[in-house]
Amino acid sequence: MRIFWILLKKELHAFFVSPVAYVVLALVMILNGFAFRAALSVLESAPSEGSIVSWTFHAMWFWLSYFFIFPLLTMRLFAEEKKMGTLETLFTAPVRAWQVVGSKYLASVIVYGVLWLPSLFNFKFAQWISAGQVEVPPGAMQGAYLIIMVMGMFNLAVGCFASSLTANQIVAAILSFTLSLLHFLLGIFVMVVGRKLSDTIVDIVNYFAATEHIRTFTAGLIDSRTLVYYLSMSMLFLTFTHHVVEFRRWRP
Amino acid sequence: MIDVQHLTKQYAGRTAVSDISFQVEPGEIVGFLGPNGAGKSTTMRILSGYMPATSGHARVAGFDVFHQSIQVRQSVGYMPEMAPLYTDMKVKEYLRFRAELKGLSGHAMRRRVGEVMELTGVTDMRRRLIGNLSKGYRQRVALADALVHKPGLLILDEPTNGLDPVQIRHVRDLLRSLKSKHTVLLSTHILHEVEQTCDRVIMIHQGRLRANDTPQNLTSQLRSTTLLHLELDGAGNLAEKLAALPGVRKTTEEKLLVQPWRRFTLRVEPGHDIRDAVLELAMQQKWRVREMHRQLPNLEDVFVELSMNAGTPTDIPTHVL
Repeated sequence: MRIFWILLKKELHAFFVSPVAYVVLALVMILNGFAFRAALSVLESAPSEGSIVSWTFHAMWFWLSYFFIFPLLTMRLFAEEKKMGTLETLFTAPVRAWQVVGSKYLASVIVYGVLWLPSLFNFKFAQWISAGQVEVPPGAMQGAYLIIMVMGMFNLAVGCFASSLTANQIVAAILSFTLSLLHFLLGIFVMVVGRKLSDTIVDIVNYFAATEHIRTFTAGLIDSRTLVYYLSMSMLFLTFTHHVVEFRRWRP
Repeated sequence: MIDVQHLTKQYAGRTAVSDISFQVEPGEIVGFLGPNGAGKSTTMRILSGYMPATSGHARVAGFDVFHQSIQVRQSVGYMPEMAPLYTDMKVKEYLRFRAELKGLSGHAMRRRVGEVMELTGVTDMRRRLIGNLSKGYRQRVALADALVHKPGLLILDEPTNGLDPVQIRHVRDLLRSLKSKHTVLLSTHILHEVEQTCDRVIMIHQGRLRANDTPQNLTSQLRSTTLLHLELDGAGNLAEKLAALPGVRKTTEEKLLVQPWRRFTLRVEPGHDIRDAVLELAMQQKWRVREMHRQLPNLEDVFVELSMNAGTPTDIPTHVL
């Protein structure tokens, strides 16, 4: 466990000494600003059932940030070490593969969490300047941030896996972007052709669909099936990553 | 310290190391030689626990390199070829990180990092980013990293690669000074280095063990001729008289600008030492001698001979994964 914390500290350090974390943070803040503004203008134009929280996370701007975060945060994790040859130095120190994979993953999850902190301020700010007139339902807030976190954990695990497969960061980024996009498109697929499909298929696809998860959670409905789905899928991809990293040791 | 038994490593359809066995005793400095792609790095990677062998066994400090990988890595200080380092860290920061990974902590860790920085001469660079260091300094940081946990065995893959002559001498002195505390296995291309530093030489070529002996034994066993350089002054046909000595295969004379001195090079059959005979002849003939120097075959000759005897080097793999 001691080794794990040492590695985690080093990974976090690597994130914050490189400009990547700050660039991503700035972009996420800008896009969140746009998303928030879009939500406000929806509420301004007509009465609505949705809260400001659900409109914010339905905005196109939100999805825009959603897609570029994961490749940017995870592409260098393993690919860079492979290219630089430092994986050899790392694995000739007495460290185990799970410690390396776990520390890199947890560091990316922590950085990801930090990215969303400024957006909390948007809602506080809206309440403050409107003297409490803008309603921010606490259930929706909890649901929204919970789903953003677990979805992020899933996509970061996918990104870790993509990065472990290659020594080229660009390839890793494209791979994780594609996998995240395919996952997202499941929901769009139902929206587009849903009427022609049987209810069972729609239900099954919706169980996997990110858009559907955002819809229910930002309405304040916390669905444990979704949480189990994302967390178990994260574990699966981390296990894949572990095996890819450890494969070196087993290759005949 | 190291016990390698019938070690074989195959990469997809290509054999990098084939049936190698050797031992290294504690306190030895062993040079690991071979042309590029001979399987040196592969063997070293297996010994450092980075990757497994296809077949055969290797034990380091009593631990099996595959089944007890963590213990092996704990007792080995490994410096990979090209010295890969985290370029976004500062020297001291990096060494502290590595020391912690290898089990040191607190005051002892800080003191040890200070010691190895002093030992390898990177103390002045401790606040610099590794990415901004020259090749020589990176090499030294990697060496400091290998030393930091006081491992019983140091495995150094071309530690002097890319260093200037002064730095090479520094590394050589450092390795000699480590001899009492560490066993060292190092690979290099600089044969001169090996002759001066190593107790024993292991040569591999095309994945096979070619030689395993002291540098002196290797060179004396070599069937090449020795050379004897002479500078003489005397009357008569010197070359003819010299050539008549037993064991002299060939005599060549070099023109010298300084008269009346004449310079001869005698090629002497192996097993003959004709220096006494030359002096006796000189006294008898009343020649003056101002230089006599015997040139023994060096490790480079051994190396070339072994590489040549092993057949045409066409099937040497061009790169090692």
